[in-house]
Amino acid sequence: MSRLVEYLLRRLGFYALAAWVAITLNFLIPRLMPGDPAQIMFARFKGEMNPVAIAALRETFGLTDAPMWMQYLSYLEHLFRGDMGISVSYFPEPVVNVIATGLSWSIFLAGTALIISFLLGTALGALAAWRRGGLLDSVAPPLLSLLGAFPYFWMAMLALFLFGFGLGWFPLWHAYPEGTSPGLNLPFLAGALYHAALPAATIVIASLGGWMLAMRNTMVGVLGSDYITYARARGLSPRRVLIRYAARNALLPNITGFGMAFGFVLGGALLTEIIFSYPGQGYLLIQAVRAQDYPLMQGLFLTITLAVLGANWLVDIVTLMLDPRTRR
Amino acid sequence: MRRAVHAGSTVALFLLLCLPGCRRNEPEFRPGVLTVAQEQQSSWVRNFHPFLPMGVARWPTSAGIYEPLMIFNRINGEYVPWLATGYSWSGGADRVTFTIRDGVRWSDGTPFSAEDVVFTFDLLKKKPALDTGGIWKFLESVQLDGQGRVVMRFQRPYSPGLMTLAHLPIVPARVWREIEDPVTFSNPNPVATGPFTEVRHFGNQVWEIGRNPHYWQKGQPKVEALRFPAFPTNEQVTLALIHGEVDWAGSFIPAIDRIFVGRDPEHHGYWFPLVAGSIYLYPSQRVPAFRDVRVRKALSLAIDREMVIRVALYNYTKPAEPAGLSDGYAKWRHPGFGPGDGWVHYDPKAAEKLLDEAGLKRQGEGGMRSGPDGNPLELEISVIAGWSDWVRACQVMARTLRAVGIDAKVKAYDFTGWFQKVQRGEFDLTMGWTDDGPTPYHVFRGIMATETVLPFGEASYANWHRFGNDEADKLLHRFERTVDGNEQREIAWRLQEIFLAEAPAIPIFLNPSWGQYNTKRFVGWPTAGNPYARLSPNHPPETLLVMTGLKPAPATEAVRDNQ
Repeated sequence: MSRLVEYLLRRLGFYALAAWVAITLNFLIPRLMPGDPAQIMFARFKGEMNPVAIAALRETFGLTDAPMWMQYLSYLEHLFRGDMGISVSYFPEPVVNVIATGLSWSIFLAGTALIISFLLGTALGALAAWRRGGLLDSVAPPLLSLLGAFPYFWMAMLALFLFGFGLGWFPLWHAYPEGTSPGLNLPFLAGALYHAALPAATIVIASLGGWMLAMRNTMVGVLGSDYITYARARGLSPRRVLIRYAARNALLPNITGFGMAFGFVLGGALLTEIIFSYPGQGYLLIQAVRAQDYPLMQGLFLTITLAVLGANWLVDIVTLMLDPRTRR
Repeated sequence: MRRAVHAGSTVALFLLLCLPGCRRNEPEFRPGVLTVAQEQQSSWVRNFHPFLPMGVARWPTSAGIYEPLMIFNRINGEYVPWLATGYSWSGGADRVTFTIRDGVRWSDGTPFSAEDVVFTFDLLKKKPALDTGGIWKFLESVQLDGQGRVVMRFQRPYSPGLMTLAHLPIVPARVWREIEDPVTFSNPNPVATGPFTEVRHFGNQVWEIGRNPHYWQKGQPKVEALRFPAFPTNEQVTLALIHGEVDWAGSFIPAIDRIFVGRDPEHHGYWFPLVAGSIYLYPSQRVPAFRDVRVRKALSLAIDREMVIRVALYNYTKPAEPAGLSDGYAKWRHPGFGPGDGWVHYDPKAAEKLLDEAGLKRQGEGGMRSGPDGNPLELEISVIAGWSDWVRACQVMARTLRAVGIDAKVKAYDFTGWFQKVQRGEFDLTMGWTDDGPTPYHVFRGIMATETVLPFGEASYANWHRFGNDEADKLLHRFERTVDGNEQREIAWRLQEIFLAEAPAIPIFLNPSWGQYNTKRFVGWPTAGNPYARLSPNHPPETLLVMTGLKPAPATEAVRDNQ
């Protein structure tokens, strides 16, 4: 048991180090980009600004010419207080509030789609490997790979046009119906599910093939191992062999992949959000990069990084439960 | 089995939940509510700060919620009195007096007065971060003058400053005096004089603003509320327009007659007046070959503008005039210049002749030309990635330039990177806009005034190509000192003569003001047949003229009367 605690603590130490590196890179990368946020902001006025006004605005934005290490220290200090600064492109709104307009929706849409895709893909993969050469195994992988190979942008546009605009089955935009107020009430919750259905479906379709193939291939390898043959020889029920013996082991690579995918999903649901006019982080990220909005960029990267680290930590724990070898 | 039942009930529950919403997604409308798509955002942030730029504060904060003293109407080139009933110059161009309108009230019912105007200007002086128009660069003082008049004294005679003063949104002194930090105040509940002031609902996807109960124009606005759904890009706005959900928008739509108007020719319409300004190709003085006026003229003669407009702009516009002035400056155009004069037309033979004369020799028969120093001349046309019409226009121009032996390649940059390069003058050729104003003063100042020439590497808001002309400087200074229309016109003609002789920048086409409307629920839109303002919502404060010109379509009114 003490070994387990030690292992967990070691992992925690590793995550702390990773978080520090991420936080530091997060500070450095925006500052290595060409351009100056103050200039971009002034460009929007499309006029000749008073130098006094420029200096005053720079000060308000917290843009200083202080040495990098001083900026870094004050950045760390603010971060620990949960203050990510004021957004330049959504001035004078604090970054925390700007991110709050979309974060929960991003997590809801991308998270739901990811979990459905993961569960469905893994289950299909396991079944396909179990009945190798069967109908599922010969039809689903090529079909899903084909769907996954379509440019996502194109597929989502097509879905929106066909099912939203043409047939009118699904809403064309937004995350919940107008006139409902966010909260625990049936019209809002039902509406939110209804609005999420089409965008989530496109993500699931695009990513299902990957999960399924990965699971199927590992499963095929696992099914060929001696202990499966032994389990069958002992006369265990096929279902038990499939789930407790084969799938449990074959699942490990996919679980690791899940932690990684969560990060991609948070930053990468960008296209989904834009095509379906869904509030979320993706569009904010583009906006922040365009406007050289350092504080907002940092806030978003940090949220994504911490989410990925958190997800990986959970994955570590799940792996620990599934695979006794890691506990040694 | 139990699991199957469980799954079945989940599906049933989902169907049950979504069935009421599963009928066809026809847009729902409440009478009197007009839907606008002007800003592109994925979620709204509540901000009604009148002095922040467009895109930061919600449209129509600066003109719609708040109001200016006067509105310059770009269509007829005249000032429309608004919170001021008129203005007059005195002492040459170093003092302007605005007469403030009587009987205007703030949306909370308290009276508006000249003191609010003085307070607003003083606020910008005290908080330079808010003075984004640079008003206090030429302003000396703003004072009350007895009977509802406000006198603004200038540091030096500066007649072109009028528009900046007239367009400043006026805020209530009583409210803004109490605000601790007016720079970082997001002003969630605006008190203003405009037609729309009552925020009825503010969500991250849709927000709505209702009419001002105390609006000073009797019976206005006839629109009950403005509604703003969030759309992140042009494509979603286009879809919403076609779907009939949006009544008023200002976006670029390709092949608009087929895509938008064709869907409902009875109600869908657009108007793209060519009054905004012209789009130029700027040759940077950093390239030695471009310091020769013959080369600059040859570049212009080599460009097939008709083809640019047909291929890249769906024929939405027309080629630039000889001196580059758009239709918005029609009355300022030199009467002596007609189509085909000068060098703003397509004549590749003349272009080749000029290039030969300038010593840009072709390297072998049909080869590309070398620079005056004999080295190969390889040029880059910088353009903004994603501005697809501009990228295509640059590609067409590069092709026609190569036909006369100029080796030009198009390179697209992200907006930020492009803008930084361009402002610093670090480019060969780039497409860009000009400074804009009620007179051609700002246009020519930004194209050829010595005082706008900054060193390469320093960011400049105008004159990216770094061209200065002493004669133009003198004329521009004379222009600043006079308020006499005839004298200004004569100066503008002289400036155009210099432009024609020097070819500092290459005008390509007139920049359209994008505007789309739907007459299903509201009528009274500005059109070519009823040109009382620009249709496009992208040009405040002219938007105020449209907001007070609209009324519900007869059918909707009938429906409301019947209820």
